[in-house]
Amino acid sequence: MVLKIFFPRCCNMADSGLLVGRWIPGHDSAVVLAVIHYPFIPGHVKKYLSELRSQIQVDLTVLGSWSLSKDGQKEMDGFLKDLSTIFPHSRWLQLSREPGKKGFACEVVRKNGHAPPSGEEDKIIFVHYDQRKVMLSQLHPIHENGADVESSELRAVFHTVSQSEPLFLLDKYDDGPLKLTHWQSDGREASIIVELIKQVSVPVCILLTSLVCWWKWLWSFRVLNIWPVPFISSKLSTCVQAGYRTDHFQTVFSTRKATTHMDFMKKANMFVSFFVDIALGLLLISWLYRENRISQLANTLVPAADHVAKELQELLEWLMGAPAGLKMNRALDEVLGRFFLYHIHLWISYIRLMSPFIEMILWYVGLSACLGLTFALSVLSDIVALLTFHIYCFYVYGARLYCLKIYGLSSLWRLFRGKKWNVLRQRVDSCSYDLDQLFLGTLLFTILLFLLPTTALYYLVFTLLRLVVVMFQGLIHLSVDFINSFPLFAMGLRICRPYRLSEGVKFCVLHEEPGAPLHLLMEINPLQCSSVLQCYRTETSGCSSRDSWLALCKKLFVGELIYPWRQKTTKTD
Amino acid sequence: MGADSDAGASPAVPWRKVLYERQPFPDNYVDRRFLEELRRNIRVRRYSYWAVVRETGLVSQQLSCVALFLTLWSYMEQGNVGPLTLLWTGLGCSVLGYTLYEALGGGIDRERTRCADLQSAAVFMAFTFGFSPVLKTLTESVSTDTVYAMSAGMLIAHLASFPYTQPSLPGSLSLNAALFASVCLASRLPGTLHTFAMLSCALLVFALWPCLLQRLRHTAEWTFPWAAGMVCVCGVVGVGTLWPAGALLLFLALVILTLVCPLLLVRLQRHKDNIHGPWDEAEISDDLSRFLS
Repeated sequence: MVLKIFFPRCCNMADSGLLVGRWIPGHDSAVVLAVIHYPFIPGHVKKYLSELRSQIQVDLTVLGSWSLSKDGQKEMDGFLKDLSTIFPHSRWLQLSREPGKKGFACEVVRKNGHAPPSGEEDKIIFVHYDQRKVMLSQLHPIHENGADVESSELRAVFHTVSQSEPLFLLDKYDDGPLKLTHWQSDGREASIIVELIKQVSVPVCILLTSLVCWWKWLWSFRVLNIWPVPFISSKLSTCVQAGYRTDHFQTVFSTRKATTHMDFMKKANMFVSFFVDIALGLLLISWLYRENRISQLANTLVPAADHVAKELQELLEWLMGAPAGLKMNRALDEVLGRFFLYHIHLWISYIRLMSPFIEMILWYVGLSACLGLTFALSVLSDIVALLTFHIYCFYVYGARLYCLKIYGLSSLWRLFRGKKWNVLRQRVDSCSYDLDQLFLGTLLFTILLFLLPTTALYYLVFTLLRLVVVMFQGLIHLSVDFINSFPLFAMGLRICRPYRLSEGVKFCVLHEEPGAPLHLLMEINPLQCSSVLQCYRTETSGCSSRDSWLALCKKLFVGELIYPWRQKTTKTD
Repeated sequence: MGADSDAGASPAVPWRKVLYERQPFPDNYVDRRFLEELRRNIRVRRYSYWAVVRETGLVSQQLSCVALFLTLWSYMEQGNVGPLTLLWTGLGCSVLGYTLYEALGGGIDRERTRCADLQSAAVFMAFTFGFSPVLKTLTESVSTDTVYAMSAGMLIAHLASFPYTQPSLPGSLSLNAALFASVCLASRLPGTLHTFAMLSCALLVFALWPCLLQRLRHTAEWTFPWAAGMVCVCGVVGVGTLWPAGALLLFLALVILTLVCPLLLVRLQRHKDNIHGPWDEAEISDDLSRFLS
């Protein structure tokens, strides 16, 4: 049997006294939390401990005695032995330390009042721990419910130390009946400011929460929920971002106290990312509204859109000829080309119409950056989407046409071979068609087959254009998503206070001497950065439901619409 | 017969041709009765030469039909035959054929009404007429050689997949291949009306003529060789007016198909050697329809 004693490093040089701590149930180990110094009245100690027990729900007891031999205190040993009869116990630890020596001497006294025979003496290991770090540290992976907390020995030790925080409020400078040695918090003065902030934060939170509620109430109006509005707002990334931020706002400023560690971290992460976001946004504003940059931007934006339209026009004219020497159907080519050219014509006139107002629009839209950089980015994404609406239209027309052709060809090819798709059995069956069905089917098949290259080429070109736009928007969305979901607070903790998020512990040998107990130093292993990300990232919808590349390619091949019409529809053939 | 036919076993136990019983014979022992149940050529039919020639007439006339169609097309392309002439001739032929079909099919109860036939005809005409401008420009940018190659491939596919045993309604693949080829060819013609006329002609030759021929075979058997022979002669003469060497080739092909191939079949039938026996997989010889009904 090995008896493990977890001993706080701050008590190494404490004056003699009583050891207060806890026997870990189910394991042969004890956690020492503090030393109560002489002189004390045993009644006071018992009363204090029972009060604490009821307060922190941890079974605190007197573990034994501690003596640091100094001159003139030799006679205390006898007294310490006598103490074991005052406090009820099953085992009584007697630790003593000589000033010159490194190790402790330890003696375990059984209930019957005498030390066990030397042959059966337990082996004892002292594990020295940093009380403050262990108290503040959170062991990962996290078990929130009480049953699991005591599952392993280490977890039990961490839990005991962190639960015993009220014990550390009383120290040896206090004027009370008891004097204790344990970890001392320095800087009680700063805590006054913290307390003041805490007091102030409550009304602020109430005010902000009511503001959010009012905002949500405004949005729940019936007028805003008739058909096109929710649909459009779900497609505009600014609205989506506003929804996220409202949720975050509500979570952070809710007046309910975060009870569990995860809740607290979530709130803190949201608050910090919110704060950083707004700071970045303000930085952007301060850059944007200086030196007349808005009008410069507006002056470049309109020609850029014009230029894109011109380029598209040239592309269409190229497609209407014989692009890359491909054999296109001239009539269909011309029809499609004219159709798209007319669209571009419409688009250019729309841009011309808009151009006087663009600077004003940009000025007002730029103000949205004071709500955060993410808002500014979302607005940028929306503006890009609006300015490339013609490309989107082309893509949709091309894809619809192509999709129609592909489906028509695949079913007519079955007819061509004298087969048909059996819906009930989900397979291809042979079928005898009528003469007119065969004739019409073959006619259509021939027409579709010869027209396919033309449609496919238009589809290909417009899909590539669309993919470029989607990739740009995707890049913006990724960065917005990154700011939204990155656990800044947890990462900061990991970097500045590595012990706060721990993944386990490591031990190193402090002092080893044959015949004397082994002394180990327990150090906290910080959590890995990737685990921090995984554990604390804020959930956003962007993180989930992503098509695989293969599915995307298949969709592109069949001509199904990709982004943003992502929701699946049940297909009936 | 077997290697160990007189191995020292008691002849009291008769040898049985089974492996699931332990017998006092070596494993490779066989009896005198081993090949008793062998049967040779039990299902070989002795063909008579002229019956086979008669049946081969169907293949030859289909080949001639294709030749005739190609002849008509090249006349159209060269402008020797106007589309209106072809259309009127086609209309006359179809009316004649339809009356013949109806007259011959008196005994058979009809599945389709005349109204449905008329409706089908209207659909053919309307769609072909409506689509002919589209069809005209369909293969404009495709090179002529590609179109010819595609048509040739499709016509060969038509000949290969034609259901010669049951040609009442031409099989889907063969009819579709022929129509595909005729659309390809028709799109090379100079005018829209040409395309329309060519497609109607294709419909007559590839879809309706086999139906009429089948009806002829069923009800008036003596007419079939004459009809087939007439088509063959028409095909050869038609090709001959354009390309005499081709006509000779076609004639040779028809002769080989109709006269030489049956001769070969009948001759080679003698050398047939099929063996049957109890090792064949089981065959269900009874008519199962009485169980199924």
